[in-house]
Amino acid sequence: MRPKLTALMLCALPLFPSRADMSPGGGGTVAVVVPPIDLAQVTRGRGVYQRFCVSCHGERGDGRGISAEWLNPKPRDFTRGIFKFRSTPSNSLPTTEDLLRTLRRGLHHTNMPSWEVIGERNLKAVVEYIKTFSPRWNTEAPGTPIPIPPATPDGDAARARGKELYATLGCFNCHGTSGHGDGSAAPELKDDWGERIAPFDFTNGARLKNGDLPEDIYRTFMTGLTGSPMPSYADALKPEDGWALVHYLRALQRGETK
Amino acid sequence: MNTQSRVSIGIIFAAALLAAGSAHAIPAFARKTGMSCSACHEAWPRLNEFGQQFRDNGYRLRHGRDAPPEQPSAYWPIAFRTTVGYQWLRQTLQQTDSGTATTQTGTFGFTGLDIHSAGTLADRVSYFITYTPALRSAGFTLSPSDGDLESAWAGLHELLGTTWLNLRVGKHALDLPEDEHRSITLTQGYNEYHFHPAGSAATFEPGNNQVGIEVFGHDDLSRLRYSFSFVNANGAPLSNNLVSSPALWGHVQGTRHFDNDILPAVKVGAFGALGWHPVATQQLTTGGVPTPVVGSASSGAQFRRLGGEVHLYLLSNIYPLTLTGVVTYGSDDQALIQGGTSDASFFAGWGELSYTPTVNVVLVGRYERIRSKTQGVADNPRDLGNLTVFTGGVRYTLEMSNRTEVALHGELSSASRVVDASGNLPNALTGLMAIDFVF
Repeated sequence: MRPKLTALMLCALPLFPSRADMSPGGGGTVAVVVPPIDLAQVTRGRGVYQRFCVSCHGERGDGRGISAEWLNPKPRDFTRGIFKFRSTPSNSLPTTEDLLRTLRRGLHHTNMPSWEVIGERNLKAVVEYIKTFSPRWNTEAPGTPIPIPPATPDGDAARARGKELYATLGCFNCHGTSGHGDGSAAPELKDDWGERIAPFDFTNGARLKNGDLPEDIYRTFMTGLTGSPMPSYADALKPEDGWALVHYLRALQRGETK
Repeated sequence: MNTQSRVSIGIIFAAALLAAGSAHAIPAFARKTGMSCSACHEAWPRLNEFGQQFRDNGYRLRHGRDAPPEQPSAYWPIAFRTTVGYQWLRQTLQQTDSGTATTQTGTFGFTGLDIHSAGTLADRVSYFITYTPALRSAGFTLSPSDGDLESAWAGLHELLGTTWLNLRVGKHALDLPEDEHRSITLTQGYNEYHFHPAGSAATFEPGNNQVGIEVFGHDDLSRLRYSFSFVNANGAPLSNNLVSSPALWGHVQGTRHFDNDILPAVKVGAFGALGWHPVATQQLTTGGVPTPVVGSASSGAQFRRLGGEVHLYLLSNIYPLTLTGVVTYGSDDQALIQGGTSDASFFAGWGELSYTPTVNVVLVGRYERIRSKTQGVADNPRDLGNLTVFTGGVRYTLEMSNRTEVALHGELSSASRVVDASGNLPNALTGLMAIDFVF
């Protein structure tokens, strides 16, 4: 550990108090186990962040790096502790594994590449450093991952059920009746930072940012993309319905719908 | 020392300086990706693992935004680099009217200019062009130079849908243990990439870009890589290229990560070359004057290189203390050596220690040693051609953004080479204080 950096981190400790046992509501009645800060990891992570991340996400982690002005979508602002791509319920903090998944895979069709090449130790370290940007990590524990049950069989019936759900859940409002991303609400959509955001077009062959595996799509229905207009359907979808919707959307992606 | 020897050593040092000065660092990539130079460069211009992966993938991040139509119309993939500053050169055993003397020169100057254009032509098609304009006035090298298209290639990637099969066609840099175009040092490149046994006519130098085709591949993280280049041995006079002066260069590298703070990563590799240089041409007699016919060169005589490398990344693979060792054995057929009575062979090696404590600072020290094993001409002294070089330097990067990079560079190198039968060992001591910048 570099002495200068260690001193810097120690000075910064008051800004990052130990992750206390406060509940999200602040009442202090429910104990929340927040993992302690690993200073060695944070120090290492700061070095990784300075080399690879700072030009987009900024020195303060506010998504205002020197490149941010030219990027679309904008780099994630870590200071609010809001993360789109999680396995945890809507509005909750992601797990460490969720953040690692984003780092390993990157986000397709954004300026966020895969960083797997720099090694798992460095990825884990930079995740710990990213957690220092938002006070949420000091007071809240990550949410509990929503389980992903085994996929139900694909087939005409499942796709028909998925198509029905696509209509009844109102997916067409944003994604359009044919999945082109051209729903009536599409032109007005903005994310929590006030940036224009386009609904995903399932028909143009593009890959989903959060991954193209069936499990990735299922997870997105259930968790929503916090910070964006995409809500969680965890309360509205039974698991078999979730899979039916997955089968329908994957058929849309492959141009196999009638 | 005779005039020929003085000229030879001057050319050697000038060539080393020019080779080292023509380096690759492409802010156009930073502009395209939005990343800082430090994302790809351990210390500009040396690549880190992310940068190596980016290069191996054909300047692509493989995230769906690599093809030109994905870029803003204002994006234009051009960059240029030069180095300006003061260079001091002290040379011993220089011939003068009053005998040998030590000379000293010092001049403000520049290394030349590299104009790069590089990027993707389509999702899986890359290209790289480097033009170095002619210099009429003196740079550091005190002599004019011709313009050159130093690199001009197109790359086809993921043939058959796999990263293990890619092609580069055109004038390209050979895949070397340490890329000389990305050397941190400026007064010295890697001399073994340019070494020939004394008297050898072979002109192939792996440190020079070669014209031909490269087949290369790698795993997803570029931790296991291979490259084979089949080229016209560059500069072979009067040759008919691949027919009379072909060369095959091969290189494999593997990197392993370890879960500890002392030695987080190790890279090892092996490389070699097998080539032929023509030693005969047909002669056209016009008016009694024999004239060699261009393209008629024949009777290729063989040259061989074989070597290995180890790179130890200590303390961190992000801010590493890197210890690199490379050894090479080379031999040239006796037919390549005027008056040769046996094959000429040599051992070459270098060790380098570099440390990158922050994204802004890199310190480097290198020791190079080339020793003749056998001389092609029996009467030659055994140590003819032997070379010993020490190089040390420090770079401090003033500005490193997604647009430009500016570094202050200080360096000192000492090179000694046995240049004649008397065993004279002239030394060239070179100091450089410079501003190195790329836009």
